[in-house]
Amino acid sequence: METNIIIKLNNVNFYYGQSRALTDISMTFGKNKVTALIGPSGCGKSTLLRLLNRMNDLIDGTRVEGEILFEDKNIYAPDIDPVEIRRKIGMVFQKPNPFPKTIYNNIAYGPKLTGVNAGDLDTLVEQSLKQSVLWNEVKDILNKSAMNLSGGQQQRLCIARALAMKPDILLMDEPTSALDPISTAKIEDLIEELKKDYTIIIVTHNMQQAARISDETAFFYIGNLVEYNKTEKIFTKPDVKQTEDYITGRFG
Amino acid sequence: MTRQTKEIIIKYIFFLFALVSVIVLGLIVFSLFREGLPIFGKVSVKDFIFGMEWYPTYDPPNFGIFPLIVGSLIVTLLATVIAVPLGVMAAIYISEIAPQAIKEILKSVIELLAGLPSVVLGFFGMVIVAPWLQDTFDLPTGLNIINASMILALMAIPTISSISEDALYAVPREFKEASYALGATKFETIVQVILPAAMSGISTAVMLGMARAIGETMVVLMVAGGAAAIPESLFDSVRPMPASIAAEMGEAPFRSGHYQALFAIGIVLFFMTLFFNLVADYVSHKFRQIGSGTL
Ligand SMILES: Nc1ncnc2c1ncn2[C@@H]1O[C@H](COP(=O)(O)OP(=O)(O)OP(=O)(O)O)[C@@H](O)[C@H]1O
Ligand SMILES: [Mg+2]
Repeated sequence: METNIIIKLNNVNFYYGQSRALTDISMTFGKNKVTALIGPSGCGKSTLLRLLNRMNDLIDGTRVEGEILFEDKNIYAPDIDPVEIRRKIGMVFQKPNPFPKTIYNNIAYGPKLTGVNAGDLDTLVEQSLKQSVLWNEVKDILNKSAMNLSGGQQQRLCIARALAMKPDILLMDEPTSALDPISTAKIEDLIEELKKDYTIIIVTHNMQQAARISDETAFFYIGNLVEYNKTEKIFTKPDVKQTEDYITGRFG
Repeated sequence: MTRQTKEIIIKYIFFLFALVSVIVLGLIVFSLFREGLPIFGKVSVKDFIFGMEWYPTYDPPNFGIFPLIVGSLIVTLLATVIAVPLGVMAAIYISEIAPQAIKEILKSVIELLAGLPSVVLGFFGMVIVAPWLQDTFDLPTGLNIINASMILALMAIPTISSISEDALYAVPREFKEASYALGATKFETIVQVILPAAMSGISTAVMLGMARAIGETMVVLMVAGGAAAIPESLFDSVRPMPASIAAEMGEAPFRSGHYQALFAIGIVLFFMTLFFNLVADYVSHKFRQIGSGTL
C-alpha cells in the first residue's frame, strides 16, 4: 500500500439483518488528511464510519463483506481483536457523551485500561486537554463532574478523551451538530490543528463545514459512493450531477 | 353538562379513589398505635426495646424485645448479604450478557420465584433445608438463622434483581458506546461505566429488598426456630419480630399486656420498614443529584 494511505476499503458491503446499508464501497483514506463524508440522511455515512472501528459489531445481526485494510491488515480478519482496533482508531459521537465521572477520570478512563501508570496519567490528562484546547477552562475543576460542562466543552472533553489513547485515526460523526456556532468554530479550529498529527474522518451535514475543514470529500447516496475527490474539486466542479444537486441544496 | 364540569367531576372521582388508600393506611396506623402504646404504661420504652427477657405470659411478665429485634436484624442482614450479589449479578447477566432466549427464560424463572407463596418457601425450608443443615453440621435443629436467611434471600432476590435490571437498562447507550469506542472490553464497560451509572437504582433495589425481608412473616415463623434469646452463632434459633406477633397473637387475651406488647412490636416494625423506605428514597435522590458524577 502506498505510504500516504492509512485505510483501504475493497468492495465492502454491509447489512443490517436482511437490508443492505452499503453497496460495494471501494475507497482509500489518506494519512494525516481530513476526509469529509457527506450525503443525505440515511445514506450510510455513520454506518461506514462505525465499520472502521468495528463499532457495528455491537449491533446484533449485522454482516460485513469485502475487506477493510488498516495499515495493510484486514481489520475484519478472524484473528483481529476489535478492542485493539478501537484503541488505535478513536471515535467522537454526534451527541457529546462524557461519562458521569469527573473530568479527570473521563480522560484517564481509556489510558487506565491500557495500564498507563498513575504517575504518567496526570501528564497525559493535561496534555490531552491542552490538545483539545479545553485545559484553561477546566484546569481548576478537574475533580468536578463532567456533566456540569457546557455542550461544547463536553464535546471537546470527548475529543480529549479520544486523544488520550494516542490513536492513529479520529472518527467524528457530526461532532458539531448539537453545538452552537461559537463552540462549532472552536471545534473546527481544533480539527485544523489536529490534522498535523492525526488522520481525521468526519461525517457532516454542514456543507460549509466540509468545504472549510476537509482535504477530501466523499459523497454518498443510498449506500453507494457516488463521488470522491479533492474537496475543492467536489465543491467547485463536481463530475456527477447528483453531487452538484446535493451540494447546492437542490435535494437531500 | 359542559365539558369543563365533566373534567372537574372526573378529577374529583380520581382524587377520592386515591384518598381511599391514604385513609385506610391512616386507620391502620391509628389502630396500631391505639392498641400498642398503652404498654408503655406498664414498661418504659427503654426497658421494652432493650430488655433482654421476653416472657410475656409469666407473672409478673417480662416485655423486653431486644432478642426479637436482634433476631430480625440478623436474619435480614444475612439475607441481604446472600441476596445482593446473586440478585445484582443476575440482573447484570440478564440485561447485559445473556442471549435473547436465555434472557427470556431467566426472567420468567425469577418472576416465578417472586410469585411463590411464602408458605411454600417456608415449607421448603422446613422439610428440605432444615434436615440437610441438621445432618451436615450435626446441629440440634436445622431451624435457625442460616436457614431463615437463605429462604428470605430467595424472596428478596426477585425484588433486587428486577429493580436493578430496570436501573441497568436505564443507563444511556451513549455511555456504553463511549466506553467500547475507547477500547474497553465488555467486562470493563460493565464494571466501570454501567454499574456506577446504575448505582442509584441498585441501591434502591437493595433497600427495598431489605424492607421486604424484614417484614416477612411466614418464612421466619416456619424456619427461624423461635428462640427468643440473643443468638451466639449463625446456627442458633431466633425469633424475629413478625414471627412473635404471628405466633402469639392468637393466645394473647384481648387488650392484655401481652396483646399490647405485640402491637407495640408492630409499631417498632412499622418504623423499621419506614426507615428502610426513607433511606431507599434518600439514596436514589442523592445519587441522582450528583449524577454519581464524583465516582
Ligand atoms: N441499528 C440499525 N439497525 C438497522 N438499520 C439501521 C441501523 N442503523 C442504521 N440503519 C439503516 O442503515 C441506513 C444507513 O444509516 P446511517 O445511520 O448510516 O445513515 P447516515 O448517513 O448516518 O444518516 P444521518 O445523516 O441521518 O445520520 C439507513 O437506512 C438506516 O435506516
Ligand atoms: Mg449518521
